[in-house]
Amino acid sequence: MLESRPIGRRALIVAGLASLATAGRAHAGPASNEIVRFGLTPVFLDNDLALLKRLRDFLSRQTRRNVQLVQRRTYEEITALLISGQLTAAWICGYPYVAYAQELAVLAVPVWRGRPLYQSYLIVAADREASGLQDLKGDLHAFSDPNSNSGYLVTVASLAKARQKPKDFFRKTFFTYSHRNVVRAVSSGLAESGSVDGYVWEVIAKLEPDLAGRTKVIARSEWLGFPPVACLKRLEESPQTQAVGRALRNMQSDPDGAEVLRLLRLDGFTAAPPNLYDGIARKMREVRSLG
Amino acid sequence: MAVRTDGWSIDPRRWPLSFRVPALVVLLMFTISAVITDRVLARLDTSQSRHLNELTNAYLDGISSAILPHVLRDDVWETYDALKRAGKRYRGLDVSWTTVVDRDDRVIASSLPKRFTLQSRLTLEIGGAKPGGEGTTIAVAGDVARFRRTLVHQGRSLGAIYGEIEVARLIDERWEVLRALVITNAILTLALAGVGYFAVRTMLRPVGMLSSQMRAGLKGGVAMIPDTRLGSANSEFGQLFRTYNSLVAKVSERERLLKCLAEEERLASLGRLASGMAHEINNPLGGMLNAVDAMERYGERADVRMRSIDLLRRGLKGIRGVVRSALATYRKREEDRALRAGELDDLALLIAPQARRKQLELEWHNGLSEDFDAPAHPVRDAALNLLLNACSVSPPGSTVLFRAEANARELRITVADSGPGLPRDVSDYLNSRDGRTLPLEDHRGLGIWIVKKLLREIDGNVSAEKKQPKGTRIVLSIPASGYRVPPDQEYENVA
Repeated sequence: MLESRPIGRRALIVAGLASLATAGRAHAGPASNEIVRFGLTPVFLDNDLALLKRLRDFLSRQTRRNVQLVQRRTYEEITALLISGQLTAAWICGYPYVAYAQELAVLAVPVWRGRPLYQSYLIVAADREASGLQDLKGDLHAFSDPNSNSGYLVTVASLAKARQKPKDFFRKTFFTYSHRNVVRAVSSGLAESGSVDGYVWEVIAKLEPDLAGRTKVIARSEWLGFPPVACLKRLEESPQTQAVGRALRNMQSDPDGAEVLRLLRLDGFTAAPPNLYDGIARKMREVRSLG
Repeated sequence: MAVRTDGWSIDPRRWPLSFRVPALVVLLMFTISAVITDRVLARLDTSQSRHLNELTNAYLDGISSAILPHVLRDDVWETYDALKRAGKRYRGLDVSWTTVVDRDDRVIASSLPKRFTLQSRLTLEIGGAKPGGEGTTIAVAGDVARFRRTLVHQGRSLGAIYGEIEVARLIDERWEVLRALVITNAILTLALAGVGYFAVRTMLRPVGMLSSQMRAGLKGGVAMIPDTRLGSANSEFGQLFRTYNSLVAKVSERERLLKCLAEEERLASLGRLASGMAHEINNPLGGMLNAVDAMERYGERADVRMRSIDLLRRGLKGIRGVVRSALATYRKREEDRALRAGELDDLALLIAPQARRKQLELEWHNGLSEDFDAPAHPVRDAALNLLLNACSVSPPGSTVLFRAEANARELRITVADSGPGLPRDVSDYLNSRDGRTLPLEDHRGLGIWIVKKLLREIDGNVSAEKKQPKGTRIVLSIPASGYRVPPDQEYENVA
């Protein structure tokens, strides 16, 4: 898991081979017939099929290319596909981006509530008395994904500061591979507490108030860089990638794009400010330093 | 209509047929209903159990394959999510909860995570089967059915799936079926009972008519069924009614013949009595004629005249007694009246000739000190018949007993002889209280039949018993019946 590296060695080898196999085809053919493969992870509510269709249509129209949305269960799978060049771009979490900062570049960053920032929440059942991470000792704790910043790294980093590890601090932990599922796990009682993306929890609170209402937030992290849309550095200047970047950054000025943003509860996409992910990188180091 | 009209009895055999048959229909229908209901419910139970087993096994097959890879990877969330998804998919099965445990019976995931928390130990006995068993176990307890399925992968046990299914719907369905059966059967039973009642009532109407005719016959008014009510001669009851009418005709003829016979017997007795009376009258007549001769010859002599007159008076008195008795006995019925106190003693006079002829001793006790309110002629006829029979059957030199006792309510007359005793059938006939008849053979027992008939006419009773060492004792019990002795005018023409 994440204690060593966010992506396994085997996944990298497979992704590398796939990248070699497909690299020659990246610029082949006319622009209008090119396929743009856009990777998605559960950094947002990716279970909304109507939203996904609108997003694909918007990107296809804006890039004037055939856009395919690629979803996998884990961040690791999407990150591996991205690094291996099988994806033009992917909306990944800040943690894998930081982990592979040498290979990846930020194409665009979502703007939420006016800033490209978000928080990690610790949630418990609504009727439970708890005020912080230390109250959760001995819990059954639900993480989102071992490669998630808000759904894993933040909590593990907080424990690392106290020289503690999740397997010792919690009675048992498990991954739901979705922020929404973390909320479901805590609300159903399957988990006693969970680490969740603050943006996702707030959107759920709006869209599914019953579900979110059975949980409550007991701790919020500092503001951290919002999960970015990333691409391979070496393909950053390619027309495909540039087209995708432009489409995202201009989304709020397009009616269809604005509708997609409304559904995503985002203000828009912007270029990444410098040092946006330093906080995440610091946390990664803290965790790794504990071994 | 009721075949019997007397009061209700707790003995079903005495209930009217018109009630018994519908009651039997109800009983039969009830029994059939109970058996059918039992069979239907048993079948339904089997069907529901099989259905439940099949659905549960289908559910477990589906869920086993869905969760197996997740259990192998110890993936709590996916196991839980698979359980939740499966719970919604199996609409035919009301699954309350499903819980997956590992080989140590520790919870891996549950559809009710608050009740079955992760890693807690679940030990559940299902239908007596202990945890850890192989295969699938399903057991119903009350409103729920619990199941257990061992999770096996490549021949290795990974744990088990436990769960609970609500079967209240199945139980409700069973109650619905039971209620429908009971209501349907009750309606059918009542309808059939009603149909049975009216059908039997209609069918038994002729029997009721026959029954009422026969009851009327017991009271003495035997009458034929009118032709208008006989019905078709081909029908069962038509034939029965005609047979009955034929029987009534024969019985009426027998009664008529018996009356004729009785009259003949009476006349025969009269003849016998007349000869006795002639003898009784003849004896004083010789002395009276001698007295007349003596008065003719020596009438001027006062002593002879007085002796002759005295002799004539005594002779005439004797004759008057005999004539009075005969008159009293053979007068016509229409002139019947109450019994006088000394009237029974006249009977001794009437049977005296027979008694003397056989040298019988008459032991006579007339305890009747005053008149008794009962018809005189039937009592006298009956007593005389018994006395004549007694004299007839008694061996020469034996004793014939006559005893009359009375109180305000009853007169008891006992006649006893030392004869060979009454034949069994005659004795039974005398002692019987019903209307049975006496088999008549060569006039044997005709006197007895007459006695019985006379006593029945005045609501009296006859009883006969063997007398020790030999002979018969017959007792007549005659109730007071309100007869009043009219002014003494019967003997006004008798000297």
